[in-house]
Amino acid sequence: MTELSIHGGANTASARLGRLAIYGALAIFAAFYLMPLAVMVMTSLKDLDDIRTNSLLALPERLTTFAWSHAWNEACIGTECTGLAPYFVNSLVMAIPAVAISTFLGALNGYALTKWRFRGANLIFGLLLFGSFIPFQVVILPMAQTLGFMGLSSSVAGLVLVHTAYGINFTTLFFRNYYVSLPDDLVRAATIDGAGFFTVFWRIVLPLSPSIIVVTVIWQFTQIWNDFLFGASFTSGGSQPVTVALNNLVNTTTGVKMYNVDMAAALIAAAPTLLVYVVAGRYFIRGLTAGAVKG
Amino acid sequence: MAASALDIRDVRKDFGATSVLKGVSLSLAPGEFLVLLGPSGCGKSTLLNMIAGLDPITAGEIAIDGRVVNQVHPKDRDIAMVFQSYALYPNMSVAKNIAFGLEMRHIDRAERERRIADVSALLQIDHLLKRKPSQLSGGQRQRVAMGRALVRDPKVFLFDEPLSNLDAKLRVDMRTEIKKLHRRLGTTIVYVTHDQIEAMTLATRIAVMRAGVIEQLATPQQLYDEPANMYVGGFVGSPPMNFIPATLVENGSALAVRFAVGPQGAGGEVTLPLVDTPAAARGYVGKPVVFGLRPDALTDFSDAEAMLRPHGQRLDVEVDVLEPTGAEALTYVTLGGTTAIARVNARRAVDVGETASLLADMSHARLFDPDSEQAIG
Ligand SMILES: Nc1ncnc2c1ncn2[C@@H]1O[C@H](COP(=O)(O)OP(=O)(O)OP(=O)(O)O)[C@@H](O)[C@H]1O
Ligand SMILES: [Mg+2]
Repeated sequence: MTELSIHGGANTASARLGRLAIYGALAIFAAFYLMPLAVMVMTSLKDLDDIRTNSLLALPERLTTFAWSHAWNEACIGTECTGLAPYFVNSLVMAIPAVAISTFLGALNGYALTKWRFRGANLIFGLLLFGSFIPFQVVILPMAQTLGFMGLSSSVAGLVLVHTAYGINFTTLFFRNYYVSLPDDLVRAATIDGAGFFTVFWRIVLPLSPSIIVVTVIWQFTQIWNDFLFGASFTSGGSQPVTVALNNLVNTTTGVKMYNVDMAAALIAAAPTLLVYVVAGRYFIRGLTAGAVKG
Repeated sequence: MAASALDIRDVRKDFGATSVLKGVSLSLAPGEFLVLLGPSGCGKSTLLNMIAGLDPITAGEIAIDGRVVNQVHPKDRDIAMVFQSYALYPNMSVAKNIAFGLEMRHIDRAERERRIADVSALLQIDHLLKRKPSQLSGGQRQRVAMGRALVRDPKVFLFDEPLSNLDAKLRVDMRTEIKKLHRRLGTTIVYVTHDQIEAMTLATRIAVMRAGVIEQLATPQQLYDEPANMYVGGFVGSPPMNFIPATLVENGSALAVRFAVGPQGAGGEVTLPLVDTPAAARGYVGKPVVFGLRPDALTDFSDAEAMLRPHGQRLDVEVDVLEPTGAEALTYVTLGGTTAIARVNARRAVDVGETASLLADMSHARLFDPDSEQAIG
């Protein structure tokens, strides 16, 4: 016992020093990465005089939410001075159905590909895998034509379709890899019990999937909300998503450059993805640990 | 006679180019307990899956209760299956697990509750009904898996190695329980295992399988006493049957086996006369045969034993290895140039290097063709 504690004592001194170094380094990295965010938040809370006269890193002299409310419903985007609000709604109307549909179809595909290995299942999976490596830029032209044929050009519904189609590759991949480890015997047992394709899916497979659903939702929401290229390519004017509107807001060159409004607008546009991480991330971890205790 | 519960006629299964079942036929009367016994990879689970309808068969015919079910969906075959992994639905309570099959068959709630109560009382799992499978021990999960099958009251039960995930003690307990259950319910069961003790204790008949064919289909006792070939003799019984290379000779009017005794034939040769030799054996006179003798037919020589075994022949041989197991000692000796095992009363066991007097009960002798490995006669 005594010997142990002597050794322990000798170790603690150097271990403590090591700890200090590690935490010091981590703090520096954290500060470095948080700096831009901090500058954005501070700038968005300053007024223009403050920004002009004081340093970028200085704390605001007077806190004001002018920039936030201006960005939300007054700022001019192109010629329309409506603020980001309607575009924010566009993005929600685009992202929520697209995330829901692509996640649902991914789950269904993953289930069919792993548990009902039909003829050609591997080929289909190979093609889907291939699809997830196709860059956005390649599909823009054919996609624009397709949307034209379908009468969905320049509409939020069109964007929902594009994002769903483009997202299915990824969601299928996620769910397929998750369902591969789900025992086939479950499906066999349910088949003998008399459950069909969809009953097994609803009653047995989906209830076992919360963690992978959360992962997929986070991924899809981030991708779709943050998308700029599809939004800029396939929509115009009032149907644009918030990312495109943000770009137009920042690039609108009438009068003085309002950095505080730009910053507030950027933060507004980024808020939902942050929120999804904060809210769903917790469920994600909970899902993981719940899975771990399952026998 | 009633229709057979299960008929399998020349069933084949190919996975691509590999043939996994190469023509399996068997017929099962209602109430029989058939065990499919064989080493890993011989096609036991595949055959069970074909009966269940989870995998289509390549050729042949399967009939359940007189009805050909080749094209019938698993849920309509009137079978229930217990999986090696139990395959309990992790998201459902024990009660829901048991009732799922009934629910899928649109059996009303009151009836479901009643049947759950019956089955859970039978299996003594009534106190677990509200739990999730993850909150159960291995043995409890096993019971729930059986409950899920029992509650449906099907024509044929299929068990795929249901006990192999349990520890040794629990396995023996559950084995007894399954046997009791079968007695009590009189159901038809097809049970897969690679544990020959499980097979011997449970089965009314055993199908010994090897590489996609049934080597022998017989009652446990027939299988033990009259193995159809060396494979079955070696697979069934622990320790396995002794296979002693010998020469068949004429011994007066009867036949006898002659072989060398001891390491390098140090003990000279013995000639042991056979009892009731089959006619086919005549053709082997002067030729090599394999003389098969169960270790329990090769015992210590005592006057009492000799009296009990009128066809006992004395055999003096040097002991190579001795393995005491409590009541008896497995005595390893060299006969016909290979190792043979004798089951000797532990109190009369002879030490290594000394000469043991053994008694070979020739009424249990079995002759095999050394080339085809099939039994002679
Ligand atoms: N889907 C499949 N495709 C190709 N080969 C298969 C497939 N399923 C099984 N096999 C092969 O068929 C053979 C028999 O498999 P099976 O599962 O019936 O063996 P088993 O007797 O149940 O063995 P175990 O005791 O290990 O469970 C094995 O050699 C296996 O590799
Ligand atoms: Mg198996």
